[in-house]
Amino acid sequence: MSDLAPTEIKALVRIMDELDYYQLMHVKRGVSVRDVKKAYYAVSRTFHPDANRSLESDLRDAVERISKRVTEAYAVLRDPRRRQAYDRQLNENAGVRMQLAAAEAGARKQAQENEGLTPQGRQYFRLANDEIKRQDWRSAERNLATALTFEPNNESFKSMLKEVRKNVKYSPADRR
Amino acid sequence: MSEIAIGIDLGTSNSCVAVLRDGTVEVEVLPNAYGEATTASVVALRADGTITVGNAARANIIHDPAHTISSSKRLIGRYFFSEEVKKAQAICSYQIVEGPNHSVRIEVREEVFSLPEIGAMILRELKSIAESRLNEPVTKAVITVPANFNDNQRQATKDAGQIAGIEVLRILNEPTAAALSYGFGKGLAQTVAIYDLGGGTFDISVLQIADDVFEVLSTCGDTFLGGDDFDDRLIDLLADEFLERENINLRNDPFALEKLKVAAESAKQALSVKDEVEIRIPDVISAADGGSSLSIERTLSREEFSRLVNDLIQRTFKVCDEALQQADLVTRDLDGVILVGGPTKLPMIREAVEHYFGKPPKDDVDPDQVVALGAAIHAATLVDNEHNAFLLDITPLSLKIGVAGGLAETVIERNTPVPIEQTRTFTTFQDDQESVAIRVYQGEARESEGNELLGQFEFSGFKKARRGQVPIDVTFEINADGIVNVTARDPESGQQASTSITLSSGLSDGEIRNIIEERRSDRVQLNSELVPADAEALGAVRLVSQPVTSIPETKEALAESTPAPAADPPTASVEPSDKGIASVTPQDPGITTDPEPPTDDLESDDEDFATKVDRFEEELELLPDETLEPLEMAAADDVTAIMNDDDLLAMSRGPDLDPENPATQTSKTDAEPEADPDLFEDVGTDLTTLDGGGSENKD
Repeated sequence: MSDLAPTEIKALVRIMDELDYYQLMHVKRGVSVRDVKKAYYAVSRTFHPDANRSLESDLRDAVERISKRVTEAYAVLRDPRRRQAYDRQLNENAGVRMQLAAAEAGARKQAQENEGLTPQGRQYFRLANDEIKRQDWRSAERNLATALTFEPNNESFKSMLKEVRKNVKYSPADRR
Repeated sequence: MSEIAIGIDLGTSNSCVAVLRDGTVEVEVLPNAYGEATTASVVALRADGTITVGNAARANIIHDPAHTISSSKRLIGRYFFSEEVKKAQAICSYQIVEGPNHSVRIEVREEVFSLPEIGAMILRELKSIAESRLNEPVTKAVITVPANFNDNQRQATKDAGQIAGIEVLRILNEPTAAALSYGFGKGLAQTVAIYDLGGGTFDISVLQIADDVFEVLSTCGDTFLGGDDFDDRLIDLLADEFLERENINLRNDPFALEKLKVAAESAKQALSVKDEVEIRIPDVISAADGGSSLSIERTLSREEFSRLVNDLIQRTFKVCDEALQQADLVTRDLDGVILVGGPTKLPMIREAVEHYFGKPPKDDVDPDQVVALGAAIHAATLVDNEHNAFLLDITPLSLKIGVAGGLAETVIERNTPVPIEQTRTFTTFQDDQESVAIRVYQGEARESEGNELLGQFEFSGFKKARRGQVPIDVTFEINADGIVNVTARDPESGQQASTSITLSSGLSDGEIRNIIEERRSDRVQLNSELVPADAEALGAVRLVSQPVTSIPETKEALAESTPAPAADPPTASVEPSDKGIASVTPQDPGITTDPEPPTDDLESDDEDFATKVDRFEEELELLPDETLEPLEMAAADDVTAIMNDDDLLAMSRGPDLDPENPATQTSKTDAEPEADPDLFEDVGTDLTTLDGGGSENKD
């Protein structure tokens, strides 16, 4: 059973629209999915309507509003794809709340971008991926560099190239 | 001491009631007056006007199929034109008719009943069983439904509870209830799958149990797959063989069909324990010359039956694949599999489940009782916060809104945790559009027509502008009870309209009040009023005939009815014998030899029945098209015409809409007994998405 004071509930409802999902769930950015779940259980214990059936109706409504927002936060943060889209929104100061459909759309867009947005970028990125699987770091480096000439701002290409170069450094063959 | 609240598993074939007694952690099934844990979900309407519920009613099916209502759960909360209703019409011997607003009604002995009323009769019986066992009035209950029940079906079930005089604390998903029963008080840290094959539906749920927290990860189901389908396969086999041998189609004779059904069900049950069963149906029908009577005698092996239903079993695993994928798990990740539902007692199902999941199912739960036990646990936690079982549930079906092009745009995806609230912004489809129709759907189809319409309402009063220039915020809420609420709002003026989604074909509050006032359910002869022969053996069974003063309905019912004579012996008339023989042996020997009903009264009724069947079959061919037409029209020419002329739009909304104040209209208003033929015609699909979510991105 929830042991919230009425004043606490009212205060939280007032500031709820200013809290980001991490603040709402009392977790840090970069928290593991497992800990997101733990936080969801803990916060739900306090705010879930089932834990507050004995409250008076206006407070119960307030608690339910908070509970709905907690659920939304959980549905975003537990999914790494959606969370990535949400983090980007936070970084751009574009609001602390994100509708699930928007998070999903953002996640899909991100997945596309990771694969490359131009046909040539996608083609060289795919080649590089196969070479990484074969640990052919040098060829992967070359193809990623080529992919980047088509999409110079693709963050996913850049970070992959950085990883590949670390491996190239330690591979026995001479560096060019 | 807190108030008693019971758990009710309102099943397609059988129902069960349980309680978690105050101050204990022991949960128990409350058996009926005959000491049976489950009670048949069957309602029989006798010629003298009395109504019988339960196993005695089920015994009535075979000699009076037209007046005995079984498997009514398959129809509750459905539209008359739905596939499931057509399927039921083909199988059921009682008469299924169309009610107001495309709802389903059952007509028996010239009385018309809504499905919630039939459900209420069963619930009332269960409530009375609980009251007689607990020796105190019971008014609160958690009632379970299949996980894939849509909002219409849930609301209708809730209505049934209300009619039965029950405050429904929660409509709980059956597999979730099973998980509660499995994990309650054990301090588990497990991920489990609940494989729930009932009489009419299949559900699979994946839950994570962490001590007292029960988190539902995913739920998927198939509403067209259940144990009854296994019986149907066997009925088809027997009927086809008989047709070939005798050139008589048993499906055309309601009495023969009922005998086939009973024999098929018994044979199936017998195969749970035997490798082979002998099916014997003496005098299944009279020969064409009217003289000799014909019989069915046949041996059925477990292997043969397996072959007959194997594809049905495999279909359940397709649904399991889906549920695991939604939960982002593979079978290896599961700590256990729990079986729910009578059909899961079949060895072939257990074997298939073990093969698919790579582990034997848990056998420390009774598939027939586990759901009611879980419902009782949840009921106790909802009236008394001392009991620790904390449920985090999801919504089993996607919630959608109808948009231009006959499509349905998802606002809340299935398997999203609840309670939740989501807002999407939509816009007008026409220049100077004055109103929009908000249509709310539930389901997984892309086209709106492939989903279940939950309700609709008009929203107007926003400024006139070019198309796409008027934003309209639509907020969808699902509360912890799983009830859907939708609000439309003009973000510029702040004006809003909302509706609690009520089944368009369902009962209004007024209708429910009328039904309660009509008190037809008072005619139910509660079995718990009967003194069981072995009352002593059952222990101190208190009967309802003792004063239960705080429930006026019960009190009056008792005052009106003389102590009820035992209507039927408690034993079911059809049972597999010890020898593994499934034979149909009706309790009245006069009935087997003669397909005519036993009494004069029934006989006269039955001539009527034959003509009804003829007429009914004609209707079967005609009705679906006529019923569906309005829906197609909604997507076609009419709407285009309507949308091109907005004045016409406002005026053509049907007689129930007040053109002065359309914003306040909700789907609740069309609750008059007369059908509103315009219900499906008057809808314009005139919204398009405006916000960033979904397929149309603004950038």
